[in-house]
Amino acid sequence: MTLIAGLLVGIAMGALLQRVGASSPAAILRSLRLQDLTVIKFMATTIAVATVVTYGASHWIPMHFDVKPTYVLGVAGGGLLFGVGFAVAGYCPGSCVVACGEGRKDAFATVAGGLAGTLAFTLLYTGLEPVFILPINFGKIRLSDVLHVPAFAVALALASILLTIVTVVPTMKRGMRSATPDSQTAP
Amino acid sequence: MSESTMPLPPEAGRLPRWASLGVLFGLVCAAAIALYGPIGVSSTYARVIGASLRAIDTAYAHANPYVVKMGSLVAPETMLVIGLLIGGYLASAIGGGRKAAAPIEPVHAYETSAVRRYIGAFVGGFLLLFGARLAGGCTSGHIISGITQLSLSGLLFGAAVFASGVPVALSLKASHPTRQQ
Repeated sequence: MTLIAGLLVGIAMGALLQRVGASSPAAILRSLRLQDLTVIKFMATTIAVATVVTYGASHWIPMHFDVKPTYVLGVAGGGLLFGVGFAVAGYCPGSCVVACGEGRKDAFATVAGGLAGTLAFTLLYTGLEPVFILPINFGKIRLSDVLHVPAFAVALALASILLTIVTVVPTMKRGMRSATPDSQTAP
Repeated sequence: MSESTMPLPPEAGRLPRWASLGVLFGLVCAAAIALYGPIGVSSTYARVIGASLRAIDTAYAHANPYVVKMGSLVAPETMLVIGLLIGGYLASAIGGGRKAAAPIEPVHAYETSAVRRYIGAFVGGFLLLFGARLAGGCTSGHIISGITQLSLSGLLFGAAVFASGVPVALSLKASHPTRQQ
């Protein structure tokens, strides 16, 4: 049953990422260059809705929470490497798979590079674990645990902050052409 | 479920596309947590490598703690990645935007040929997954699912990604927008 649920979630996620343009490396670079924040605003809206609905629903139905441990060196170091890869490829590990389905040929190179990177990590794991993963590990810790505030209250506050930011900050940098075809004008 | 409770001003009389699609994706992410667990993509790469190593050298695979830890390829996360492929195909086929011969989009100025773009896409992919596996998640597992669950690791990972991603993207000169390869 969970396998079918995973497949359906994947199909919906793939279709939504393609529709919003997140599978386009050019759109990712426009976001990272802070020229067109469409994809970032999409993600912020997603998180705002998901956190409120998830913690709201958890009062009535059991939710399968799975918080990842905060080991500072590995999470921050991995994030820094990931950011460089994100800027160079214009894909993330999920959007390149969506882009393969869409027929973008360079996405297959990113998937291949991703498998090579994973192989390298797997082979080096026993050396990396004592340096990056075992020290400074706070375990599965949440913002609500640190603040000693109910999770649903933190979720509401986080959603308000995210939705305020996406509403107030302009999507397009001044002077940038819109990337959407219906409002695109000839230079 | 109601979009009318969202404090977003209507743009030209309706929600901007990123907002309505974001609301839908938010509901999908919450549904995943209700049904089996938070969405995540990068662990599937590790399970594919694990399954490959088990097929090539069973003894080594059983001795590698990471291969053992990541476990079997039969997992909802594997099905999610297959779904991404199907969803990307269906949305581009039905909704339009699927080019007859999908061109490689110009991204960086140094990608002056298709081969250079392939090299950049490969190297970027290597860094993405090495980083994601070191951190224990990627955009979906750490940033979307992590911050949704209010985890500190998700917030830390997200901050680190943008701390390096934005300066690197700004320092790499953009490809001319009208150039096609």
